[in-house]
Amino acid sequence: MSDAPAHSMAAIPRIDLGRMRGYPRQDGRKGIRNFLAVAYLVECAHHVARRIAEPFQEQGAQLIGFPGCYPSDYAHRILDAMCTHPNVGAVLLVSLGCEEFRRSDLKDAIARSGRPVELMVIQDRGGTRSTIEEGRAFVAAELMRLKAAPTVPLMLSDLTIGTKCGGSDGLSGITINPAVGHAFDLLVDQGATVMFEETPELIGCEQHMAGRAVTPELGAALIAAVAKADAYHRELGHGSFGGGNIKHGLSTIEEKSVGAYAKSGSRPIVGLLKPGDRPGRPGLHLMDTVNDGPVKLGIPNINDTQTVTEMVASGCQLIVFTTGAGSVVGQAIAPIIKGVSNSRVFQRLSDDIDVNGGTIADGQESIQEVGEHILRKIVALASGEQSRSEALGHQEFALAYKSYEPAGPACFPLG
Amino acid sequence: MPMDRRANMVRLAPADNVAVALSDIAAGETALDRAELQLTARERIPQGHKIALQPIGMDDPIIRFGMPVGLAKAAIDRGALVHIHNVRSRYLDNEVDHYE
Repeated sequence: MSDAPAHSMAAIPRIDLGRMRGYPRQDGRKGIRNFLAVAYLVECAHHVARRIAEPFQEQGAQLIGFPGCYPSDYAHRILDAMCTHPNVGAVLLVSLGCEEFRRSDLKDAIARSGRPVELMVIQDRGGTRSTIEEGRAFVAAELMRLKAAPTVPLMLSDLTIGTKCGGSDGLSGITINPAVGHAFDLLVDQGATVMFEETPELIGCEQHMAGRAVTPELGAALIAAVAKADAYHRELGHGSFGGGNIKHGLSTIEEKSVGAYAKSGSRPIVGLLKPGDRPGRPGLHLMDTVNDGPVKLGIPNINDTQTVTEMVASGCQLIVFTTGAGSVVGQAIAPIIKGVSNSRVFQRLSDDIDVNGGTIADGQESIQEVGEHILRKIVALASGEQSRSEALGHQEFALAYKSYEPAGPACFPLG
Repeated sequence: MPMDRRANMVRLAPADNVAVALSDIAAGETALDRAELQLTARERIPQGHKIALQPIGMDDPIIRFGMPVGLAKAAIDRGALVHIHNVRSRYLDNEVDHYE
Protein backbone atom coordinates (compact mmCIF):
# COMPACT_ATOMS: atom_id res chain seq x y z
CA MET A 1 0.00 0.00 0.00
CA SER A 2 1.42 3.41 -0.87
CA ASP A 3 1.05 4.75 2.67
CA ALA A 4 2.79 1.73 4.22
CA PRO A 5 5.48 2.94 6.62
CA ALA A 6 8.82 3.41 4.94
CA HIS A 7 11.68 1.53 6.51
CA SER A 8 15.39 1.36 6.14
CA MET A 9 17.41 -1.84 6.23
CA ALA A 10 18.59 -2.46 9.77
CA ALA A 11 22.29 -3.24 9.95
CA ILE A 12 22.82 -6.93 10.58
CA PRO A 13 24.76 -7.36 13.80
CA ARG A 14 28.06 -9.20 13.54
CA ILE A 15 26.87 -12.78 13.71
CA ASP A 16 28.79 -15.72 12.25
CA LEU A 17 26.47 -17.53 9.84
CA GLY A 18 29.24 -19.82 8.61
CA ARG A 19 28.30 -22.89 10.62
CA MET A 20 24.64 -23.04 9.56
CA ARG A 21 23.94 -26.37 7.79
CA GLY A 22 20.77 -27.73 6.29
CA TYR A 23 19.41 -31.02 4.98
CA PRO A 24 18.43 -30.53 1.32
CA ARG A 25 15.00 -31.85 0.25
CA GLN A 26 13.64 -32.76 -3.17
CA ASP A 27 11.29 -29.71 -3.22
CA GLY A 28 14.21 -27.29 -2.78
CA ARG A 29 13.60 -26.55 0.88
CA LYS A 30 16.21 -27.30 3.54
CA GLY A 31 15.73 -28.69 7.02
CA ILE A 32 17.64 -27.64 10.13
CA ARG A 33 16.89 -31.08 11.62
CA ASN A 34 16.68 -34.57 10.13
CA PHE A 35 13.89 -36.06 12.21
CA LEU A 36 12.03 -39.30 11.79
CA ALA A 37 8.30 -38.71 12.34
CA VAL A 38 6.21 -41.48 13.89
CA ALA A 39 2.61 -40.48 13.14
CA TYR A 40 -0.51 -42.12 14.54
CA LEU A 41 -3.59 -41.67 12.38
CA VAL A 42 -6.22 -42.08 15.13
CA GLU A 43 -6.07 -42.00 18.94
CA CYS A 44 -6.50 -45.79 18.98
CA ALA A 45 -3.01 -46.07 17.42
CA HIS A 46 -1.42 -43.48 19.71
CA HIS A 47 -0.14 -45.90 22.35
CA VAL A 48 1.53 -48.19 19.82
CA ALA A 49 3.12 -45.21 18.04
CA ARG A 50 4.36 -43.81 21.36
CA ARG A 51 5.92 -47.13 22.34
CA ILE A 52 7.60 -47.41 18.95
CA ALA A 53 9.14 -43.94 19.25
CA GLU A 54 9.96 -44.05 22.97
CA PRO A 55 13.44 -45.68 22.88
CA PHE A 56 14.54 -43.35 20.05
CA GLN A 57 13.21 -39.98 21.22
CA GLU A 58 16.68 -38.74 22.16
CA GLN A 59 17.94 -39.73 18.70
CA GLY A 60 15.47 -37.87 16.51
CA ALA A 61 12.26 -39.93 16.52
CA GLN A 62 9.40 -37.44 16.95
CA LEU A 63 5.84 -38.45 17.83
CA ILE A 64 2.98 -36.68 16.02
CA GLY A 65 -0.57 -37.64 15.08
CA PHE A 66 -4.28 -36.91 14.83
CA PRO A 67 -6.72 -38.32 17.42
CA GLY A 68 -9.94 -38.08 15.37
CA CYS A 69 -11.66 -41.05 13.75
CA TYR A 70 -13.99 -39.01 11.51
CA PRO A 71 -12.57 -37.65 8.23
CA SER A 72 -10.99 -34.17 8.24
CA ASP A 73 -9.50 -32.49 5.17
CA TYR A 74 -7.81 -30.00 7.52
CA ALA A 75 -6.11 -32.66 9.65
CA HIS A 76 -5.06 -34.56 6.52
CA ARG A 77 -3.52 -31.40 5.10
CA ILE A 78 -1.63 -30.63 8.33
CA LEU A 79 -0.29 -34.18 8.76
CA ASP A 80 0.74 -34.26 5.10
CA ALA A 81 2.61 -30.98 5.59
CA MET A 82 4.29 -32.34 8.75
CA CYS A 83 5.40 -35.58 7.11
CA THR A 84 6.87 -33.69 4.11
CA HIS A 85 8.31 -30.90 6.28
CA PRO A 86 11.94 -29.88 5.61
CA ASN A 87 12.94 -30.97 9.14
CA VAL A 88 11.63 -34.51 8.49
CA GLY A 89 13.71 -37.10 6.65
CA ALA A 90 11.65 -40.28 7.06
CA VAL A 91 8.18 -41.27 8.27
CA LEU A 92 6.45 -44.19 9.95
CA LEU A 93 2.62 -44.07 9.81
CA VAL A 94 0.75 -46.08 12.43
CA SER A 95 -2.90 -46.86 11.74
CA LEU A 96 -5.39 -48.95 13.71
CA GLY A 97 -7.08 -49.95 10.45
CA CYS A 98 -10.74 -48.96 10.67
CA GLU A 99 -10.39 -45.16 11.09
CA GLU A 100 -11.40 -42.95 8.16
CA PHE A 101 -8.00 -41.30 7.64
CA ARG A 102 -6.90 -41.68 3.99
CA ARG A 103 -3.68 -43.42 4.98
CA SER A 104 -2.67 -44.69 1.53
CA ASP A 105 -3.00 -41.18 0.04
CA LEU A 106 -0.79 -39.83 2.80
CA LYS A 107 1.78 -42.59 2.33
CA ASP A 108 1.88 -41.98 -1.43
CA ALA A 109 2.36 -38.22 -0.96
CA ILE A 110 5.27 -38.83 1.42
CA ALA A 111 6.87 -41.30 -0.99
CA ARG A 112 6.50 -38.80 -3.85
CA SER A 113 8.38 -36.23 -1.73
CA GLY A 114 11.43 -38.53 -1.83
CA ARG A 115 11.25 -39.67 1.80
CA PRO A 116 11.39 -43.26 3.03
CA VAL A 117 7.96 -44.11 4.46
CA GLU A 118 6.36 -47.18 6.00
CA LEU A 119 2.70 -47.69 6.87
CA MET A 120 1.87 -50.16 9.64
CA VAL A 121 -1.76 -51.14 10.21
CA ILE A 122 -2.12 -52.63 13.69
CA GLN A 123 -5.11 -54.80 12.76
CA ASP A 124 -3.09 -56.40 9.93
CA ARG A 125 0.13 -56.87 11.89
CA GLY A 126 -1.07 -59.04 14.74
CA GLY A 127 -1.74 -56.29 17.30
CA THR A 128 0.22 -54.18 19.73
CA ARG A 129 3.30 -56.27 20.42
CA SER A 130 4.23 -57.22 16.87
CA THR A 131 3.55 -53.70 15.51
CA ILE A 132 5.81 -52.18 18.16
CA GLU A 133 8.57 -54.66 17.30
CA GLU A 134 8.33 -54.09 13.55
CA GLY A 135 7.98 -50.35 14.01
CA ARG A 136 11.10 -50.14 16.17
CA ALA A 137 13.10 -52.11 13.60
CA PHE A 138 12.09 -49.64 10.89
CA VAL A 139 12.88 -46.62 13.09
CA ALA A 140 16.28 -47.97 14.15
CA ALA A 141 17.32 -48.62 10.54
CA GLU A 142 16.09 -45.25 9.25
CA LEU A 143 17.70 -43.27 12.07
CA MET A 144 21.07 -44.81 11.12
CA ARG A 145 20.55 -43.61 7.57
CA LEU A 146 19.37 -40.13 8.61
CA LYS A 147 22.38 -39.68 10.84
CA ALA A 148 24.71 -40.16 7.86
CA ALA A 149 22.78 -37.82 5.53
CA PRO A 150 24.80 -35.05 3.84
CA THR A 151 24.24 -31.38 4.70
CA VAL A 152 24.62 -28.18 2.68
CA PRO A 153 25.38 -24.59 3.73
CA LEU A 154 22.35 -22.66 4.97
CA MET A 155 21.56 -18.95 4.58
CA LEU A 156 19.10 -16.87 6.59
CA SER A 157 17.08 -16.66 3.38
CA ASP A 158 16.62 -20.46 3.56
CA LEU A 159 14.76 -20.07 6.85
CA THR A 160 11.04 -19.81 7.53
CA ILE A 161 10.39 -18.75 11.12
CA GLY A 162 7.16 -18.26 13.04
CA THR A 163 6.43 -16.46 16.29
CA LYS A 164 3.81 -17.11 18.93
CA CYS A 165 3.12 -15.87 22.44
CA GLY A 166 1.62 -17.85 25.29
CA GLY A 167 0.85 -16.68 28.81
CA SER A 168 1.44 -13.00 27.97
CA ASP A 169 1.77 -10.46 30.76
CA GLY A 170 1.83 -6.68 31.03
CA LEU A 171 5.52 -6.53 30.14
CA SER A 172 5.37 -8.83 27.08
CA GLY A 173 4.41 -5.98 24.77
CA ILE A 174 7.19 -3.76 26.14
CA THR A 175 10.14 -6.14 26.37
CA ILE A 176 10.34 -9.54 24.69
CA ASN A 177 7.70 -9.04 21.96
CA PRO A 178 9.24 -5.90 20.44
CA ALA A 179 12.63 -7.64 20.71
CA VAL A 180 11.23 -10.47 18.56
CA GLY A 181 9.89 -7.76 16.24
CA HIS A 182 13.41 -6.37 15.88
CA ALA A 183 14.80 -9.86 15.16
CA PHE A 184 12.05 -10.32 12.56
CA ASP A 185 13.00 -7.03 10.88
CA LEU A 186 16.63 -8.20 10.67
CA LEU A 187 15.52 -11.57 9.24
CA VAL A 188 13.24 -9.98 6.63
CA ASP A 189 16.07 -7.68 5.55
CA GLN A 190 18.21 -10.79 4.97
CA GLY A 191 15.56 -12.40 2.77
CA ALA A 192 14.03 -14.77 5.31
CA THR A 193 10.35 -15.74 5.42
CA VAL A 194 8.63 -15.01 8.73
CA MET A 195 5.09 -15.30 10.06
CA PHE A 196 3.01 -14.24 13.03
CA GLU A 197 -0.43 -15.61 13.85
CA GLU A 198 -3.58 -15.74 15.93
CA THR A 199 -6.07 -13.35 14.46
CA PRO A 200 -8.14 -13.49 17.72
CA GLU A 201 -5.14 -11.93 19.48
CA LEU A 202 -4.87 -9.08 16.99
CA ILE A 203 -8.34 -7.67 17.63
CA GLY A 204 -7.95 -3.91 17.71
CA CYS A 205 -4.78 -3.86 15.55
CA GLU A 206 -6.48 -4.57 12.22
CA GLN A 207 -6.41 -1.03 10.84
CA HIS A 208 -2.72 -0.62 11.62
CA MET A 209 -1.95 -3.99 10.03
CA ALA A 210 -3.89 -3.05 6.91
CA GLY A 211 -1.67 0.05 6.61
CA ARG A 212 1.35 -2.28 6.40
CA ALA A 213 -0.11 -4.51 3.68
CA VAL A 214 1.59 -4.40 0.28
CA THR A 215 -1.75 -3.95 -1.54
CA PRO A 216 -5.14 -2.48 -0.52
CA GLU A 217 -6.74 -5.86 -1.33
CA LEU A 218 -4.44 -7.64 1.12
CA GLY A 219 -5.17 -4.90 3.68
CA ALA A 220 -8.89 -5.58 3.31
CA ALA A 221 -8.25 -9.33 3.67
CA LEU A 222 -6.30 -8.73 6.91
CA ILE A 223 -9.17 -6.64 8.33
CA ALA A 224 -11.67 -9.31 7.29
CA ALA A 225 -9.60 -12.06 8.94
CA VAL A 226 -9.60 -10.21 12.28
CA ALA A 227 -13.33 -9.38 11.97
CA LYS A 228 -13.97 -13.09 11.38
CA ALA A 229 -12.03 -13.93 14.54
CA ASP A 230 -13.95 -11.34 16.58
CA ALA A 231 -17.34 -12.56 15.32
CA TYR A 232 -16.39 -16.20 15.84
CA HIS A 233 -15.33 -15.66 19.44
CA ARG A 234 -18.38 -13.51 20.24
CA GLU A 235 -20.54 -16.41 19.07
CA LEU A 236 -18.48 -18.87 21.12
CA GLY A 237 -18.79 -16.57 24.15
CA HIS A 238 -15.12 -16.86 25.06
CA GLY A 239 -12.21 -15.00 23.55
CA SER A 240 -8.48 -15.52 23.52
CA PHE A 241 -8.02 -13.57 26.73
CA GLY A 242 -7.85 -15.43 29.96
CA GLY A 243 -7.20 -15.65 33.64
CA GLY A 244 -3.43 -15.82 33.33
CA ASN A 245 -3.36 -12.61 31.29
CA ILE A 246 -5.48 -10.81 33.91
CA LYS A 247 -3.36 -12.08 36.78
CA HIS A 248 -0.29 -10.61 35.10
CA GLY A 249 -1.68 -7.15 34.38
CA LEU A 250 -3.52 -7.23 31.06
CA SER A 251 -7.07 -5.84 31.29
CA THR A 252 -8.68 -6.47 27.87
CA ILE A 253 -8.21 -8.51 24.69
CA GLU A 254 -7.33 -5.34 22.78
CA GLU A 255 -4.56 -4.53 25.28
CA LYS A 256 -3.22 -8.07 24.89
CA SER A 257 -3.40 -7.61 21.11
CA VAL A 258 -1.27 -4.45 21.08
CA GLY A 259 1.44 -6.39 22.91
CA ALA A 260 1.16 -9.51 20.75
CA TYR A 261 1.28 -7.42 17.58
CA ALA A 262 4.72 -6.06 18.56
CA LYS A 263 6.21 -9.46 17.62
CA SER A 264 5.54 -8.70 13.96
CA GLY A 265 8.16 -5.93 13.81
CA SER A 266 7.80 -3.11 11.33
CA ARG A 267 8.25 -4.53 7.83
CA PRO A 268 5.47 -4.65 5.20
CA ILE A 269 2.99 -7.55 5.35
CA VAL A 270 3.21 -9.51 2.09
CA GLY A 271 0.68 -12.31 2.56
CA LEU A 272 -2.14 -13.89 4.56
CA LEU A 273 -1.74 -17.65 5.08
CA LYS A 274 -4.10 -20.38 6.12
CA PRO A 275 -2.59 -23.31 8.03
CA GLY A 276 -0.56 -25.45 5.64
CA ASP A 277 -0.26 -22.75 2.94
CA ARG A 278 3.37 -22.34 1.96
CA PRO A 279 4.53 -18.74 1.63
CA GLY A 280 5.37 -18.16 -2.03
CA ARG A 281 7.88 -15.41 -1.35
CA PRO A 282 10.06 -14.09 1.49
CA GLY A 283 8.89 -11.43 3.92
CA LEU A 284 6.35 -11.08 6.72
CA HIS A 285 3.08 -13.05 6.64
CA LEU A 286 0.07 -13.26 8.93
CA MET A 287 -1.55 -16.64 9.58
CA ASP A 288 -5.33 -16.79 9.85
CA THR A 289 -6.01 -19.20 12.72
CA VAL A 290 -9.84 -19.17 12.81
CA ASN A 291 -12.25 -21.52 10.98
CA ASP A 292 -14.11 -20.23 7.93
CA GLY A 293 -17.90 -20.27 7.88
CA PRO A 294 -20.33 -20.50 10.79
CA VAL A 295 -19.14 -21.50 14.25
CA LYS A 296 -18.57 -25.25 14.20
CA LEU A 297 -16.15 -27.85 15.57
CA GLY A 298 -15.57 -25.81 18.73
CA ILE A 299 -12.75 -23.53 19.85
CA PRO A 300 -10.53 -22.81 16.82
CA ASN A 301 -7.20 -23.56 18.47
CA ILE A 302 -7.43 -25.52 21.68
CA ASN A 303 -4.02 -24.44 23.00
CA ASP A 304 -0.71 -22.78 22.08
CA THR A 305 0.67 -25.99 20.65
CA GLN A 306 -2.00 -26.31 17.98
CA THR A 307 -1.28 -22.78 16.76
CA VAL A 308 2.45 -23.52 16.67
CA THR A 309 1.70 -26.74 14.80
CA GLU A 310 -0.19 -24.77 12.12
CA MET A 311 2.79 -22.48 11.50
CA VAL A 312 5.10 -25.48 11.31
CA ALA A 313 2.69 -26.97 8.75
CA SER A 314 3.28 -23.82 6.68
CA GLY A 315 6.99 -24.61 6.59
CA CYS A 316 8.52 -23.00 9.70
CA GLN A 317 11.74 -24.82 10.57
CA LEU A 318 11.93 -22.94 13.87
CA ILE A 319 9.56 -21.07 16.20
CA VAL A 320 10.24 -18.12 18.52
CA PHE A 321 7.83 -18.38 21.45
CA THR A 322 7.40 -15.59 23.99
CA THR A 323 5.85 -15.80 27.43
CA GLY A 324 5.25 -13.71 30.52
CA ALA A 325 3.82 -16.22 32.97
CA GLY A 326 6.39 -18.81 31.85
CA SER A 327 5.81 -21.53 29.26
CA VAL A 328 7.86 -24.71 28.96
CA VAL A 329 6.60 -26.08 25.63
CA GLY A 330 8.58 -27.35 22.66
CA GLN A 331 7.37 -28.79 19.35
CA ALA A 332 7.83 -32.16 17.70
CA ILE A 333 8.98 -31.02 14.24
CA ALA A 334 10.34 -27.47 14.67
CA PRO A 335 12.58 -26.49 17.59
CA ILE A 336 11.25 -23.69 19.79
CA ILE A 337 13.28 -20.81 21.18
CA LYS A 338 11.56 -19.39 24.23
CA GLY A 339 11.88 -15.79 25.36
CA VAL A 340 10.43 -14.36 28.56
CA SER A 341 9.24 -10.82 29.32
CA ASN A 342 10.50 -10.47 32.90
CA SER A 343 13.53 -11.46 34.95
CA ARG A 344 11.48 -12.89 37.82
CA VAL A 345 10.14 -15.73 35.68
CA PHE A 346 13.48 -16.10 33.89
CA GLN A 347 15.12 -16.84 37.24
CA ARG A 348 12.33 -19.19 38.30
CA LEU A 349 12.32 -21.18 35.00
CA SER A 350 15.90 -20.63 33.89
CA ASP A 351 16.29 -24.22 32.61
CA ASP A 352 13.40 -23.73 30.21
CA ILE A 353 13.98 -20.24 28.83
CA ASP A 354 16.48 -19.40 26.08
CA VAL A 355 16.34 -15.58 26.10
CA ASN A 356 15.54 -13.14 28.93
CA GLY A 357 13.76 -9.98 27.74
CA GLY A 358 13.33 -8.87 31.36
CA THR A 359 16.70 -7.11 31.11
CA ILE A 360 14.88 -4.41 29.10
CA ALA A 361 12.54 -3.62 32.01
CA ASP A 362 15.48 -3.86 34.40
CA GLY A 363 17.30 -1.13 32.46
CA GLN A 364 20.21 -3.39 31.52
CA GLU A 365 19.66 -3.99 27.80
CA SER A 366 17.83 -2.38 24.91
CA ILE A 367 15.11 -3.93 22.74
CA GLN A 368 17.66 -4.06 19.90
CA GLU A 369 20.21 -5.93 22.01
CA VAL A 370 17.68 -8.57 23.08
CA GLY A 371 16.51 -8.83 19.45
CA GLU A 372 20.10 -9.60 18.46
CA HIS A 373 20.31 -12.28 21.17
CA ILE A 374 17.25 -13.89 19.59
CA LEU A 375 18.84 -13.77 16.13
CA ARG A 376 22.05 -15.29 17.51
CA LYS A 377 20.02 -18.07 19.10
CA ILE A 378 18.27 -18.73 15.76
CA VAL A 379 21.67 -18.99 14.03
CA ALA A 380 22.95 -21.32 16.79
CA LEU A 381 19.96 -23.64 16.39
CA ALA A 382 20.41 -23.67 12.61
CA SER A 383 24.05 -24.63 13.31
CA GLY A 384 23.00 -27.73 15.26
CA GLU A 385 22.73 -26.42 18.84
CA GLN A 386 19.68 -27.59 20.79
CA SER A 387 17.17 -25.18 22.30
CA ARG A 388 16.23 -25.56 25.97
CA SER A 389 12.98 -27.36 25.18
CA GLU A 390 14.75 -29.73 22.76
CA ALA A 391 17.40 -30.57 25.35
CA LEU A 392 14.65 -31.28 27.88
CA GLY A 393 12.97 -33.68 25.45
CA HIS A 394 9.85 -31.63 24.71
CA GLN A 395 7.95 -32.88 21.65
CA GLU A 396 4.54 -31.21 21.96
CA PHE A 397 2.08 -31.72 19.14
CA ALA A 398 -1.67 -31.00 18.98
CA LEU A 399 -4.18 -31.31 16.20
CA ALA A 400 -7.98 -31.02 16.49
CA TYR A 401 -10.85 -30.65 14.02
CA LYS A 402 -11.04 -27.39 12.04
CA SER A 403 -12.43 -26.26 8.71
CA TYR A 404 -11.07 -23.80 6.13
CA GLU A 405 -11.91 -22.60 2.65
CA PRO A 406 -8.90 -22.14 0.33
CA ALA A 407 -7.21 -18.71 0.56
CA GLY A 408 -8.41 -16.15 -2.00
CA PRO A 409 -6.28 -14.33 -4.60
CA ALA A 410 -5.98 -11.16 -2.45
CA CYS A 411 -3.99 -13.14 0.13
CA PHE A 412 -0.86 -13.56 -2.02
CA PRO A 413 -0.70 -10.36 -4.07
CA LEU A 414 2.93 -10.78 -5.08
CA GLY A 415 2.62 -14.42 -6.04
CA MET B 1 19.47 3.19 24.96
CA PRO B 2 18.44 1.03 27.90
CA MET B 3 15.68 2.43 30.05
CA ASP B 4 16.94 4.45 33.01
CA ARG B 5 17.76 2.28 36.02
CA ARG B 6 15.76 4.44 38.39
CA ALA B 7 12.58 4.40 36.32
CA ASN B 8 9.92 2.06 37.76
CA MET B 9 7.30 2.75 35.11
CA VAL B 10 7.20 3.48 31.39
CA ARG B 11 4.82 5.60 29.31
CA LEU B 12 4.90 3.97 25.88
CA ALA B 13 3.54 6.86 23.81
CA PRO B 14 3.08 10.59 24.53
CA ALA B 15 -0.73 10.43 24.36
CA ASP B 16 -1.02 7.55 26.85
CA ASN B 17 -3.10 8.14 29.98
CA VAL B 18 -1.58 5.10 31.70
CA ALA B 19 1.97 3.93 32.34
CA VAL B 20 3.13 0.34 32.90
CA ALA B 21 5.00 -0.65 36.06
CA LEU B 22 8.47 -2.01 35.28
CA SER B 23 8.76 -3.37 38.80
CA ASP B 24 6.36 -3.64 41.73
CA ILE B 25 5.39 -0.17 43.02
CA ALA B 26 4.10 0.01 46.61
CA ALA B 27 1.15 2.14 47.74
CA GLY B 28 2.43 5.63 48.53
CA GLU B 29 5.66 5.05 46.58
CA THR B 30 6.79 7.53 43.95
CA ALA B 31 6.31 6.26 40.41
CA LEU B 32 8.63 7.81 37.85
CA ASP B 33 9.59 7.20 34.26
CA ARG B 34 12.96 7.91 32.63
CA ALA B 35 11.83 11.39 31.56
CA GLU B 36 9.94 13.95 33.61
CA LEU B 37 6.85 12.02 34.75
CA GLN B 38 6.41 11.60 38.48
CA LEU B 39 3.42 10.80 40.66
CA THR B 40 2.45 8.95 43.82
CA ALA B 41 0.93 5.47 43.53
CA ARG B 42 -2.41 5.49 45.43
CA GLU B 43 -2.29 1.70 45.76
CA ARG B 44 0.06 -1.16 44.96
CA ILE B 45 0.86 -1.44 41.22
CA PRO B 46 2.37 -4.89 40.52
CA GLN B 47 4.98 -5.27 37.78
CA GLY B 48 3.37 -5.21 34.33
CA HIS B 49 0.17 -3.54 35.62
CA LYS B 50 -1.04 -0.06 34.68
CA ILE B 51 -1.13 3.16 36.70
CA ALA B 52 -3.36 6.13 35.77
CA LEU B 53 -1.27 9.18 34.86
CA GLN B 54 -4.27 11.49 35.05
CA PRO B 55 -7.91 11.32 36.20
CA ILE B 56 -9.85 9.17 33.70
CA GLY B 57 -13.61 9.69 33.39
CA MET B 58 -16.20 6.94 33.18
CA ASP B 59 -16.40 5.59 29.57
CA ASP B 60 -13.20 7.40 28.56
CA PRO B 61 -10.70 5.32 26.56
CA ILE B 62 -7.62 3.82 28.21
CA ILE B 63 -4.71 4.72 25.92
CA ARG B 64 -1.58 2.55 25.93
CA PHE B 65 1.05 2.72 23.15
CA GLY B 66 -1.13 5.39 21.58
CA MET B 67 -3.90 2.85 21.00
CA PRO B 68 -7.23 2.48 22.83
CA VAL B 69 -7.04 -0.73 24.83
CA GLY B 70 -10.37 -0.48 26.68
CA LEU B 71 -12.90 1.90 28.28
CA ALA B 72 -13.11 3.02 31.90
CA LYS B 73 -16.15 1.47 33.56
CA ALA B 74 -15.74 3.79 36.58
CA ALA B 75 -13.99 7.09 37.23
CA ILE B 76 -10.28 6.42 37.84
CA ASP B 77 -8.08 8.67 40.02
CA ARG B 78 -4.55 9.72 39.09
CA GLY B 79 -2.13 7.21 40.62
CA ALA B 80 -4.71 4.40 40.82
CA LEU B 81 -4.38 0.84 39.51
CA VAL B 82 -6.04 0.49 36.09
CA HIS B 83 -7.25 -3.08 35.60
CA ILE B 84 -10.34 -5.25 35.09
CA HIS B 85 -12.15 -3.75 38.11
CA ASN B 86 -12.33 -0.38 36.33
CA VAL B 87 -11.76 -1.25 32.63
CA ARG B 88 -13.97 -3.02 30.09
CA SER B 89 -13.22 -4.27 26.58
CA ARG B 90 -14.63 -2.60 23.46
CA TYR B 91 -14.76 -6.09 22.03
CA LEU B 92 -15.35 -9.16 24.14
CA ASP B 93 -15.26 -9.38 27.92
CA ASN B 94 -14.78 -12.82 29.34
CA GLU B 95 -17.28 -12.86 32.19
CA VAL B 96 -16.01 -16.09 33.65
CA ASP B 97 -12.30 -16.57 34.11
CA HIS B 98 -10.53 -18.99 36.31
CA TYR B 99 -7.06 -18.67 37.69
CA GLU B 100 -5.31 -19.33 40.94
